[in-house]
Amino acid sequence: MKIKNIIITFVSAIAILFSTSVVSLAKVVGDKIILGAAISLTGKYSSNGVHTQNGYNMAVDRINSMGGVKVGGKTYMFDIIYYDDESNPKRAAQLAERLISQDGVEFMLGPYSSGLTKAIAPVTEKYGVPMVEANGASRSLFTKGYKYLFAVLAPANLYLDVAIRTAVELNGGKGVRIAQAFEQDAFSQDVRLGILDAAKETGSKIIIDDKLPKELNDMAATLAKVKATKPDVLVVSGHTKGALTAIRQIAEMKVDVPMLAMTHCDAAKLSKQHGANSQYALCASQWHKTLTYKDDFFKDGMTYAADFEALFGYDPPYQSAESSAALLVFKDAFERANSFDQKKVRDALAATNMQTFYGNIKFAEGGQNVDKPMVLFQVMCDDAGKCENKVVAPLKWASAELIHPIPKWSDR
Amino acid sequence: MNKNIILYAAILIFGIAAPFVFPAFKVQLSILCILIILAITWNVQGGEMGYNTFGNILFYGLGMYLCASVQVGMFFPLAEWTEGGGEKTFVHTPAQFFQGFAVGLAVAAIVPAIVAGLIDYSILGLRGHYFAICTLGLGVAAGEISGGIEIIGAGQGFTTPPFPKVGSLEARGEFFYFCSFAVLIFTFLAVKAIYSTRFKLVLNAIRDNEDKAEAMGIQTMKYKIIGWMISAFFCGLAGGIMGGLVGYIDSTDVAFDGREMGVFMVLMAILGGKGTLWGPVIGATVFHIFKEGFWTFFLGWQYVALGVLIVVIVIYFPEGIMGWLREKYPERFGEVVDEADRKAQVELK
Repeated sequence: MKIKNIIITFVSAIAILFSTSVVSLAKVVGDKIILGAAISLTGKYSSNGVHTQNGYNMAVDRINSMGGVKVGGKTYMFDIIYYDDESNPKRAAQLAERLISQDGVEFMLGPYSSGLTKAIAPVTEKYGVPMVEANGASRSLFTKGYKYLFAVLAPANLYLDVAIRTAVELNGGKGVRIAQAFEQDAFSQDVRLGILDAAKETGSKIIIDDKLPKELNDMAATLAKVKATKPDVLVVSGHTKGALTAIRQIAEMKVDVPMLAMTHCDAAKLSKQHGANSQYALCASQWHKTLTYKDDFFKDGMTYAADFEALFGYDPPYQSAESSAALLVFKDAFERANSFDQKKVRDALAATNMQTFYGNIKFAEGGQNVDKPMVLFQVMCDDAGKCENKVVAPLKWASAELIHPIPKWSDR
Repeated sequence: MNKNIILYAAILIFGIAAPFVFPAFKVQLSILCILIILAITWNVQGGEMGYNTFGNILFYGLGMYLCASVQVGMFFPLAEWTEGGGEKTFVHTPAQFFQGFAVGLAVAAIVPAIVAGLIDYSILGLRGHYFAICTLGLGVAAGEISGGIEIIGAGQGFTTPPFPKVGSLEARGEFFYFCSFAVLIFTFLAVKAIYSTRFKLVLNAIRDNEDKAEAMGIQTMKYKIIGWMISAFFCGLAGGIMGGLVGYIDSTDVAFDGREMGVFMVLMAILGGKGTLWGPVIGATVFHIFKEGFWTFFLGWQYVALGVLIVVIVIYFPEGIMGWLREKYPERFGEVVDEADRKAQVELK
């Protein structure tokens, strides 16, 4: 029966391990404000997870080097504890719990993607931990009555709304025929709802409505249907992988469609990776470097983009920009609350009304940012084959005119 | 026997005291309980019966969706709850929450067991690799199909009812911990009781030689089906609790999570030693601690470490921790060893 002794020893070993591994960090240690974040460093959202993390880190460094956060006459520096949520909601919820109850974090930054934000929001809400998130755009996040959730971005259903309306306008106000394919995840499905609404209002018809799997590597079936039915607009949304897959296969199959509307073109670095193949793709974006918003920390979009590229070696996608903006919002709220009391900080966040390089930020009751419109850009290439994203809508910021319809593959 | 009672009492006391002694680790402890349940139930097929199944995740996910759907559907229109752009907010009162959860758990246990009974007749005719691949397909298919069913949220996912405001902030964690701990004890005792009957011997006979077992007059199909129904029952319960604990159900990442949970349950049972009662318990515990440790201290390398762990298990502990102990200290497992014979064997080598 000695085996039982081994088990007893084992159980006590666990007990010791658990009790010694409690690392207790308070939210404000010395002159540090410690924020917690679960980020997708591995898994299907890893590339966007890294964009998010880079955005956070750049803003932390910038704010710290420019004097930090002043609360109660004292200067504090930002610091972030990261965990890897592996792009898995189950893991994300667990990590939020861990950040709050074990690491003692009292303020959180959001993860990447709507699904993961949906998993974390109930936890932060339960503990009354204010969370400023920059990458959860699903509309249903803002209808659950969450009080401690603040999103610096516009909700997902607005992403491609403009594209459909533009197509209808160019069609002389008559409804268009839409083919759409969306990944089965919270964000893309919300973009889909937005399209459904826009289609209803403009009298457009949806002729293909496909769902794509999460590990999106093939959408040839949808494209074959598109070839056969010749819709006026093709809408695809499925994070970075969706954008890459769509462009790759559209070029391979030489699919001709007058308008191609997508999301995540800049995060996927389409213009760099696929060059001329990605030309004419119309992309919804929360931000573009040529927008004329300004703030004291990053100056404007162009400066932000240049600084970001110097640090990380690539052009910042909007995921990074909005993540940086989340830190600016936190700094502003801390200083206005002049306290680290979670309730006071929450109230200060709710009263936010500011301009950052990324756009104006003002939260509605549900926590979404209502003061910042989406922009549409189009991938445009010059004769040398160098491609760039140029803003085409709204007209206020447009730096180029929309090319419509997309030339046929045989004429390119 | 006395030592046994002391051991069980010690574990029980540890289990009850744990959330108060380590309040910050309640979620991890709850998940540990769930993992042990999954490992124990996998072992019924994989260990005792010799049928390597990847399909238990089907019952786990089914239980998760059923529990949450019943909990919501009993009081509110389910379709409006899960609707993507839904503007309405529904709030469960404490009584509704707990009633719904209790009924949900019952459904989450019974329905998967029935489903197991229905599909098993066709699947369990397959053996070996064919069976493994077929069950793998079950989990994957369930994930894709559930991702297209609007009433349970489809690709949007399903937010389970938020825990009502009762007691302190810790109430939610404690509630789910004790739920999972109670189910763990229930599972362990049930499986232990089953293992002490002829049933286990039949399962072992199927593992060792199914044709011979049939020739002996055992209706192997009947036993195989009952065995899997038992597993499905407890997997469903585990899934139901896990859904409430996580708070958000996603078709392929949380519910029918074959890539993680589905593989982990196999790994844990093998690590601890399949075909033993305690093996899966030990395996799951070691695995969970290892995993959590690596996730904390070696961020970014956790999957590399997990890969190394799997290689080490396969090469050095093919029989698992319990199997290794048994080989090393057979006397302690109540096996009589003839020293002379043992030496003779060593010399032969």
